[in-house]
Amino acid sequence: MSGKKLRIWGMVVIGILLSFRLTLAQEPYVVGISMAITGRGSEIYAPVKDALDVYFKEVNAKGGINGHPVKIIFEDNAAEPSKAASDAKKLITQDKVILLMNASLSSTYAPMIQTAKRYNVPIFFAGAVCPNEVYPPNADDIQFCSSGFASKYDSRFAMSFIKEQAKEPVKLGLVSMNIPISRGEIDFAETLAGPLGFVVVEKEAIPPTTPDFIPFATKIKNAGANWVYSWAPWATQVKTFEALRKLGWKGKYLAFAHIQAEEELERLKDDDFFVFGANGLFADNTSTHQKIRNTAAKEKTIYPYTQLTEGWLAAMVLEEVLKKTSWPGTPEKVKAAMNQLNLDMKELRGGPLVWTPNNHFRTVNYYRAYKWSSNQKKVVHVKEWTPYTVK
Amino acid sequence: MAFSSGYFKTSYAKDLTIVETKPRWVALLLLLAALVVLPFLASTFFLDLANQVLLALIGSVALMILTGYAGQISLGHAGLIAAGAFTTAILFKELQAPFFITFPASAVTGGLLGIIFGLPSLRLKGLYLALSTLSLHFIVTFFGSEYETKRGLASGVVLDPPSIGTLRLEDPRFWYFFLLIVDVLVVLLAINLIRSRTGRAWIAVRVRDIAAESFGINVSYYKVLAFVVSSVLTSLAGCLLAYYRGFVSVEAFSMLMTIEYMAMIIIGGLGSILGAILGTGFVVLLPYAIDALVNIFAIPSRLTTYMFAIKYASFGLVMIIFLILEPSGLAGIWRRLRDYFILWPFKHKPVGK
Amino acid sequence: MNIVVLASLYCLIGYGYVLIYQVSRVLNLAHGELMSLGGYFLLTIVIMGMTVSPLTSFLLAFILLLALGLVIYFVLMRLMTGESVFTAVLVTISLGILLRGLITLTWTSQSWFPLQYMGIRASSFQFIGGAQIPTFGLVKVASALGVFLILTFGIKYTRWGIKMRAVGENPLLASQRGIAIHKYYALAWGLATSIGGLAGMIQACDSGLDPGMFIIGLKAFPVVLVAGLDSLSGVIPAALLVATAEILAINYISPQASDVAPFAVLVAMLLIRPWGLFGTKEELERV
Repeated sequence: MSGKKLRIWGMVVIGILLSFRLTLAQEPYVVGISMAITGRGSEIYAPVKDALDVYFKEVNAKGGINGHPVKIIFEDNAAEPSKAASDAKKLITQDKVILLMNASLSSTYAPMIQTAKRYNVPIFFAGAVCPNEVYPPNADDIQFCSSGFASKYDSRFAMSFIKEQAKEPVKLGLVSMNIPISRGEIDFAETLAGPLGFVVVEKEAIPPTTPDFIPFATKIKNAGANWVYSWAPWATQVKTFEALRKLGWKGKYLAFAHIQAEEELERLKDDDFFVFGANGLFADNTSTHQKIRNTAAKEKTIYPYTQLTEGWLAAMVLEEVLKKTSWPGTPEKVKAAMNQLNLDMKELRGGPLVWTPNNHFRTVNYYRAYKWSSNQKKVVHVKEWTPYTVK
Repeated sequence: MAFSSGYFKTSYAKDLTIVETKPRWVALLLLLAALVVLPFLASTFFLDLANQVLLALIGSVALMILTGYAGQISLGHAGLIAAGAFTTAILFKELQAPFFITFPASAVTGGLLGIIFGLPSLRLKGLYLALSTLSLHFIVTFFGSEYETKRGLASGVVLDPPSIGTLRLEDPRFWYFFLLIVDVLVVLLAINLIRSRTGRAWIAVRVRDIAAESFGINVSYYKVLAFVVSSVLTSLAGCLLAYYRGFVSVEAFSMLMTIEYMAMIIIGGLGSILGAILGTGFVVLLPYAIDALVNIFAIPSRLTTYMFAIKYASFGLVMIIFLILEPSGLAGIWRRLRDYFILWPFKHKPVGK
Repeated sequence: MNIVVLASLYCLIGYGYVLIYQVSRVLNLAHGELMSLGGYFLLTIVIMGMTVSPLTSFLLAFILLLALGLVIYFVLMRLMTGESVFTAVLVTISLGILLRGLITLTWTSQSWFPLQYMGIRASSFQFIGGAQIPTFGLVKVASALGVFLILTFGIKYTRWGIKMRAVGENPLLASQRGIAIHKYYALAWGLATSIGGLAGMIQACDSGLDPGMFIIGLKAFPVVLVAGLDSLSGVIPAALLVATAEILAINYISPQASDVAPFAVLVAMLLIRPWGLFGTKEELERV
């Protein structure tokens, strides 16, 4: 046998031995997640993996849950629906996961849900936009969602926030990305704007491939907008804002606080750039925030600690669900545990995350708004936690 | 096609037979038997992979006809698949149309688009043609996106599994056999088209259109025909894809899809239906093969993030290595292997091959 | 003015396509990735603090990219000489996939802002008549013009330029005249990569870096075709034409149409003058 072949065989043997070692150890709770770690949207979803990783490393080091470690099997679907579909099939039928998770673009939802339904395995959306089926009153039996952003509710808060902040009559510009989900939300915001007395002067759906945001910004500026609201992927939100500022626009801008928000507020240092969202920023500096920061430093996460909140929340939910799932775990038990979740969000959110059998979203959604303050030279919150009951 | 053995064709009729020798009949029957037995042995995951290959095969045979035989480059392939899928989705959503309506309707859509986008081929060649077909992609996805937004179906149109008669296509095994039958029909259609007058005309147009015209071949007609045949098949593939996935969303039809199909036929070997089959298998399964290979090693979970990027990159790398080593494609390798075994234990090809 | 800025960006990207196509008849579909690589190189140089002034960082990244282009040619594309154009194009596509993977591997998927590390704030530039023009908008225009002048002059009058053209027009004759054709193919790749990279660097400074940036490379595609794939001088008018169509679509039709507008121009052009504004007519027959 040549040296090269020997080496390959050696590796195979070591691989087999290593997998043996795993089976000899305490049997784990197996959870599978298909997410966009590469490809489109990965800037939002990859940090979720980072957080899940470090969180459960710690949990397992402390002896796991109910005496069993947690094993998360990650699959990268690169935002491709067909890959997501086969991931789901593999995770359920080969790896026998008791819970399926998704953190990817919405086009990967349906194929995964289809498979999850077929095998009656619950599916948990973490860090990606919540599908309509998790909202009350008729939440789908197997779908659950913990993500911070939620269409239809986000814009309600956003519009009332603008109403509250604006001293002058609002001439509103609306910005979305030209993908159905973002445009849908902005169209919804437009319906809210009228009754509040706003004049919508401009509505832009910017194509995802735009190289230059200046032309769009010019249009908004020339339309005379003094407030702009944007609910889109972060790049679209912030690039439109920057383009507006480059043109010398002086108005106020409200955007949804995706995971990049905190760093970006510090980078932009603009007093009139507001972000809002369901997750508290590190400016709050609660004990949980400190814990995330320390863990991130200790484990050397790939993404900056400011981007880990969403994944951390998902990990907290997962830990709580598994705690309530007595060994040996089955999809049925997991589903039962998820149907009556009531989890303290440890100040990362405004209140507990509560799931009921007909509400797999949350009973109350809390929002907070932040901005950069040049006086204090730091990110500050400008609006306290505001609850919205979800019915 | 002549191959290196003692087998020589002695009549024109023999030149036209699909299966040339007895051992080939045996091989073909064995292959079919294996394909029939496969779903009973494979796990659900592998069955899903097999279905993906079978689905992609329809599209890649269609593209092979257009590009590999008729020599017309198209970059609108994902657009055509999307057209079929959206025709199905819209008919289903708006009219609750059953399978036996959506299926032919997709074919009609494909045919119409084929005529429209085949027309530029009368004036354009090569790269320029490729890019005019690219606009097809953008137009179809544009309308698809408008439909989704206007109807408020932000995360895509969900479809019920189709029924054929009383049979509900839901079980992966049913799907497998259904797709297998469709594929066999498509491949037979393609082979028959290619060995007929039409196919010879296409090849003539590909090789030298001016010479073809001087032989009395109506070049315009055959160019557009190639587009229409290919588009109809591609749209049908789109329709089936929509049903198989159970939903349609515009984000699923990216340029990457077109590139994958191009890769299938080029890696398979242009101008060969066998190449289309092999290339489809290669391109669809490669990422999973890389996955499986990497997963042999127990990688600490913290490092898997990097692994995914490496997997992504190695897809490109394997393709590059393959293209450098074997520019004539998998069909070329296949031919060489076959000749090697036929000639074994001799090393050289007989004269006149 | 917006039109000119957008057109300049398209020009900068378009030159790369044209250079490689003109000389080696290969359409380089990894150009978008190479372009974003320019931005990432600049980022790394700035973060590692190798230079102090932005200008030298640009220059350093530019030279690195030039080298990268040469390496790509000698390691990869040289092996593709004599193969069908199809296969060569597919190789560039695969190269693009490979590069995208490597970019994610090295710089992760998050967004980066090189300007932040340079300590510069993106500012506006006061312009005549009170209209404000972004600084990097001006940089784009200036470099598009500069590169154009240098390239045109270089290709028309210098010995290298003349030889490069000769290789492009007829490689067989050129090599018989004793021109080392591989050298000039490599030169074209090097130049195309570094100019594309320059576009990437400016774009990165202007609006940040993320893994999706390579798509901009594809957006410049219609421009190159409208120009005629082998015509350097056609790039500027073509870019202006496409950018005008795009901006008009944004302003008067709908923002969503801006994605389709360049292709509408392209289709119109293909119907009227399939070989492009300034392309060679018989070129069409040759592909």
